[in-house]
Amino acid sequence: MRRLDRRWVAWAVLAVVLLVFPLSVSRFWSVTIGAHSLILGIIALSLIFLAGYGGMVSLAQTAIAGVASYAVALLTATKLPQQILAIPVAPDWPAYLAVPTALAAATGVGLLFGLIAVRSQGIYLMMLTVALGVGFFYLTEANYDYFGGHGGIPEVISPIGYTSQNPALFYYVCLASAAVLYLGVRYLVRTPFGLALQGIRDNPRRMRGLGYWVGLHRVVAFGIAGFIAGVGGVLNVWYNGSISPGTIDLTRIIELLIIAVVGGLAFPEGAFVGALTFTLVDSFASSVTIPLPLLEDISFRERFNTLIGLTFLLVVLFSPNGLIGIGQRLAGSWSRRRSGAGPSAERRTGRGPAPEAEPANPPLADPASER
Amino acid sequence: MAFDPVQFVTVGLNGLTQAALYFIVASGFTLIFGLMRTVNMAHGSLYLFGAYLGYSIGASVGKTGEGWVLAIVGAFGGMALVGFLMQRFLLGWMPGQDLRQALVTIGLSIIVADLLLMNYGGITYQFSQPDVISGSTAIPFAVGGKYSTFRLFLVVAAGTIGLLLWLLLNRTKLGMIIRAGIDDRDMLSALGVDVPRVFLLVFALGAGLAGLAGVMGGTALSISPGEDARYLLSSLVVVIVGGMGSLGGAAIGAMLVGLAEQYGLFYWPYYAPLVTFGIMAAVLALRPHGLLGRPA
Repeated sequence: MRRLDRRWVAWAVLAVVLLVFPLSVSRFWSVTIGAHSLILGIIALSLIFLAGYGGMVSLAQTAIAGVASYAVALLTATKLPQQILAIPVAPDWPAYLAVPTALAAATGVGLLFGLIAVRSQGIYLMMLTVALGVGFFYLTEANYDYFGGHGGIPEVISPIGYTSQNPALFYYVCLASAAVLYLGVRYLVRTPFGLALQGIRDNPRRMRGLGYWVGLHRVVAFGIAGFIAGVGGVLNVWYNGSISPGTIDLTRIIELLIIAVVGGLAFPEGAFVGALTFTLVDSFASSVTIPLPLLEDISFRERFNTLIGLTFLLVVLFSPNGLIGIGQRLAGSWSRRRSGAGPSAERRTGRGPAPEAEPANPPLADPASER
Repeated sequence: MAFDPVQFVTVGLNGLTQAALYFIVASGFTLIFGLMRTVNMAHGSLYLFGAYLGYSIGASVGKTGEGWVLAIVGAFGGMALVGFLMQRFLLGWMPGQDLRQALVTIGLSIIVADLLLMNYGGITYQFSQPDVISGSTAIPFAVGGKYSTFRLFLVVAAGTIGLLLWLLLNRTKLGMIIRAGIDDRDMLSALGVDVPRVFLLVFALGAGLAGLAGVMGGTALSISPGEDARYLLSSLVVVIVGGMGSLGGAAIGAMLVGLAEQYGLFYWPYYAPLVTFGIMAAVLALRPHGLLGRPA
């Protein structure tokens, strides 16, 4: 029981810190680090929901977030760029109409991608979703009628104004969305639907034999992930104040995968841990210079992507469960040394996600899935 | 816009030559995938790396025909070596873990793209090919009655590479081993074949083809940062449509994608990517393993 109490205390402390944090810091910390991490975390959560619980590593989530971003931008911008000929007058919808429409669009595209990908699995599904995601990027870049081509749609203002006017409020909006979606995912994976989805991840053939409609579960999971990514997309267009193809290109698609993998592809918490790590590295790596004898000094301001790529490579090679995996391993060895209990006892008392929600075989740890 | 048959022929030729380039890139990708089940997400990076390496080699010799031939050979050899090292020191560690291998190659592609940007900057490079295959050739019905000789050469080159690969796979001992490996790796290993060595060889060959295609593509079009993403995407779509691991599938897929892309760009410029993805979705709906693919 004491262990359980301590977990609640930890959650309470975390909640208080997250709530008080924006009041005591500058806009840089509350928006550029805080809100941005939460937004990236939400989009990564949609990928982790599909990958960790459905066994489907979908790299189309960036594109789906982009669908919501473009929808909000088109519907709420007071003035659209001239190139957008198909919509002569800006609709100028209020946010309470535009946001649900954008979320519906993201869910719809999620379902559509799910339908396209439903018969593919594992590595095939990843290839297919990369193709879909990059395809959407090329579409937005080529299309001036609806997407404004290369320049995209500038000047998208959120209903609470620019993020610079109300940094704390924008942060709270992001925090509330992230909290609801995170708890929603944790709840969903314990419902009969969520359990069936995990069963399908582990053994689709057996689940089919038990009478489950495997395809339907997969498509619905894609729809739910589409909704989650859509929320992230709406917040992201407000954060950036604009949307352009550069926000959804292959670099960003891979960034999202890096966030999810570095955090831990099998844990919903990993989305936010990965996103925070990424934003911090993104903001501070530029001030780090590694002096090298003989060679030129490496400045990570210039070579940021090399740093990110190397970090990612090291995580993939040495810790398939990401930072959460490393944390759990450290916490596990620490408590085992203290109590002398074996790993099985430690597992039952529940560190990290509750046992029933914990994927039996995390996507990266399993060799040769379903062949 | 009124339909113009002459225009139609030229766009078709563009599609055909684009398809030839896609085939050379995708043939290496599908070869690697077919035998090892490794999705090499760094394949586009090998294309771009090969192109830059070839450019450096060619520039050091001077902008001549011989320089171009050396660029082709150097790009093939250099990328074959890179592929060999990738398989030997990274991917060989985790046989059978296809998702993890794909992630490793993604990490590599980020690093390679960044280092290439550091070394070559954001400018666009162009090759000068030998005189024999430069200029234009008379082609009836095309715009102006002629068409770029090099682009026609590209089709011949792709056909030759396809034929050579087919002969390698179907008429040699090594090809027999590779085909056996595609069907059942464990059995092949039990028969006393050194499977990891075959893997190294095939990975080097596939990577070399990407490098060679880099010089070809750099000559027909140009090389600049971002081409890696483009050719990775085209390889993915080509093998998804054609069927993974199938050489004939890569040829059919490249043809479909190249033609769809060029006709789409010409007749429906704002929506061209939709044409390609429409084809992909339709193929997957009817044949989830691609046109000539088999269940793994």
